[in-house]
Amino acid sequence: GVSGTSVEKNITLDRATRIELSCRLDNKYSHLKSLQVTWKRGNETIRHINKTENSWSIQLRILDNSNLGGYSCTLKGEEETSAMFHLQPKIEGKEKPIVSYEGDTAVMICKSFDYTPIAWTWYMTNGSEQIAINDSLLADKYVINRLSANVTHLKILKLTKEDDGVYWCEAAFELGKSKGKLKLRVLSLMVPLKPFLAIVAEVVILVTIVFLYEMYSKKKEKLA
Amino acid sequence: PPPANAGRVPGPPDGGWGWVVVFGAFISIGFAYAFPKGIAIFFKEIQDFFGTSYSEIAWVSSIMLATTYGAGPISSILVNRYGSRPVVILGGLLCGIGMVSAAFCTSILQLYICVGFITGFGLALNLQPSVIIIGKYFLKRRPIANGLAMAGSPVMLCTLAPLNQFLFDNFGWRGSFLILGAILLNCCVAGALFRPIGAATAPVKTQATEEGKDALKEEVTKDAMEMSSPMNITMETKTEEEGGKGCCEKVNQYLDFSLFKHRGFLIYLIGNVLMFLGFFAPIVFLAPYAKHIGIDEYSAAFLLSILAIVDMIARPTTGIIANSKWVRPRIQYFFSFSIAFNGACHLLCPLASGYTGLVVYSIFFGLAFGMVCAMLFETLMDLVGAARFTSAVGLVTIAECCTILLGPPIGGTLIDTFGDYKYMFIKCGAVMVLAGTFLFIMNYYNYHTVAKEEKERKAKEEDPKSVRTENEGRNNWNKETAQDGPELEPLREEREGLKKEVNGT
Repeated sequence: GVSGTSVEKNITLDRATRIELSCRLDNKYSHLKSLQVTWKRGNETIRHINKTENSWSIQLRILDNSNLGGYSCTLKGEEETSAMFHLQPKIEGKEKPIVSYEGDTAVMICKSFDYTPIAWTWYMTNGSEQIAINDSLLADKYVINRLSANVTHLKILKLTKEDDGVYWCEAAFELGKSKGKLKLRVLSLMVPLKPFLAIVAEVVILVTIVFLYEMYSKKKEKLA
Repeated sequence: PPPANAGRVPGPPDGGWGWVVVFGAFISIGFAYAFPKGIAIFFKEIQDFFGTSYSEIAWVSSIMLATTYGAGPISSILVNRYGSRPVVILGGLLCGIGMVSAAFCTSILQLYICVGFITGFGLALNLQPSVIIIGKYFLKRRPIANGLAMAGSPVMLCTLAPLNQFLFDNFGWRGSFLILGAILLNCCVAGALFRPIGAATAPVKTQATEEGKDALKEEVTKDAMEMSSPMNITMETKTEEEGGKGCCEKVNQYLDFSLFKHRGFLIYLIGNVLMFLGFFAPIVFLAPYAKHIGIDEYSAAFLLSILAIVDMIARPTTGIIANSKWVRPRIQYFFSFSIAFNGACHLLCPLASGYTGLVVYSIFFGLAFGMVCAMLFETLMDLVGAARFTSAVGLVTIAECCTILLGPPIGGTLIDTFGDYKYMFIKCGAVMVLAGTFLFIMNYYNYHTVAKEEKERKAKEEDPKSVRTENEGRNNWNKETAQDGPELEPLREEREGLKKEVNGT
């Protein structure tokens, strides 16, 4: 459409493809005599292949990462419609942190929806850096399994406090990469132990009170 | 003859400490029914952790449920021997130990044992004695007490579900199991409240026996008869002990198998076993059905909440209604009606269209479900009497165990085969309407026969000699129920009171 405002569209791709983008003008502008519509990528103009009465199309071949980005269609002087090509297949990690305990094992699972990645990589965040996890190097600590085409599985053994933090699972597609985030919290055994002991204490106290009250009321009955 | 009040033990208090016992039973029963359902929140995480399939995890719930119902007879035997209080405290300890050890499990098999068997067994030791002790503490107000205690189940479920989610978010599944173990220990507190009732010591019994024989002239119902029999029985038992006990009688002492000759018990057993085939499946499949017809996840979960809330209110209300003088004598009819009502709801469910239809269905289902549950044990008590209820409840739960476990999988198979939920609803509805009708007809026959038997008994009572022989003969198969543990109580006034209640005057 053409109405003075900028319009943006996102398109998701997962693999190399040939795609056609076209810009169409609403009928009310067809009375304008000289219409100049240009397709641009950044500052570079692309020649349009097809032109009909009120639509201008370009054809694009998206082969790799370099072809991804923003393409815009401009009506001379007026507004701009742009189409952005994003690689955005959704990767699902987990929103809530995974809670585990020292010495225990943690299992983290990442799923890709709709599109099958070529490869998966896991990263651990150390400070502000992201370090790739090499499971062959530290085989008794990390185990990476690809459970199925769209699911990857990271097992961390013998957890320690240092393993606490943010983890990323990165899925590599033909056209780029996409990440999912997971948080791991490693607690010491003392953490649940405190509420546990508190509740046990409460139970013991209540039971004692009940029995004491019973003995007391029995005594009262005997005296009465 | 000794003066009327000498050595007589007071009957069920029908109040006072009884209400505290109801509160304890509320907690105990609540945990027993709600815990297996509440634990399902952890399953996804455990499934990921051990890398198993969903059905392998679902076995944990099934084993727990099967053990809770299947261990019924063991529970009954223990209560017969030791009374409710020690059994519930032991149950609470077992549950706690089970869950705490589950927190340290390293394989799914260990989970089956810790969560499934040990905790399930602990819950069984909680459930039966709680129901039994209500029968010991209440007579006139028993339906209300039962209704209130059974309301523990939906209340606990509503509490456990968000609590479990909170624990899981903060402590992971291991920490949650640890803390849940501690929470289950609260069943011990409930058990501590179950004060044994009745000071039935031997000398007291012998004295009471004299009056017992006189009082027999005023018997009117089978119920009352069951309660008075312990008094006569003690005399018989003493002579019996001289003669030595046979093996069968020894077994009967712990678990009254002679109940299978009891007409009312058999009617109840057949009707209930049939009913449970269609009882739980609709709850299990309500949310999936809602999602299937396009309702979003949260609204589907909300349907279950509506069900639970209506259930919570329906149970005590049904108790109050069942206690009224119009309904109490005909409580079996009321029970059959609520089962049939439940079935009718399921049959009409496929006609419900859209979310509003399902909400209406949930409300009625919650109501019917609560009504049935509130009277589930009350009707059994009404049929067999408080003395034999201990054994009766054990035998009934182990029989129900099979159909309870079969119900949802059969429903699931129907859904998978036909790809449509309506056949499952039709099957459940049909089974329950059938069960309700069966119970209605058979209880009509039972009420009739019982009334006839009383007339015959009254006629015979003219001759005191035949009273003794008549009752000896009749009580031979009852005698071992005298070993009811420390909670025995003869009920002279209560029998009279019951007579008035039952006759609807």
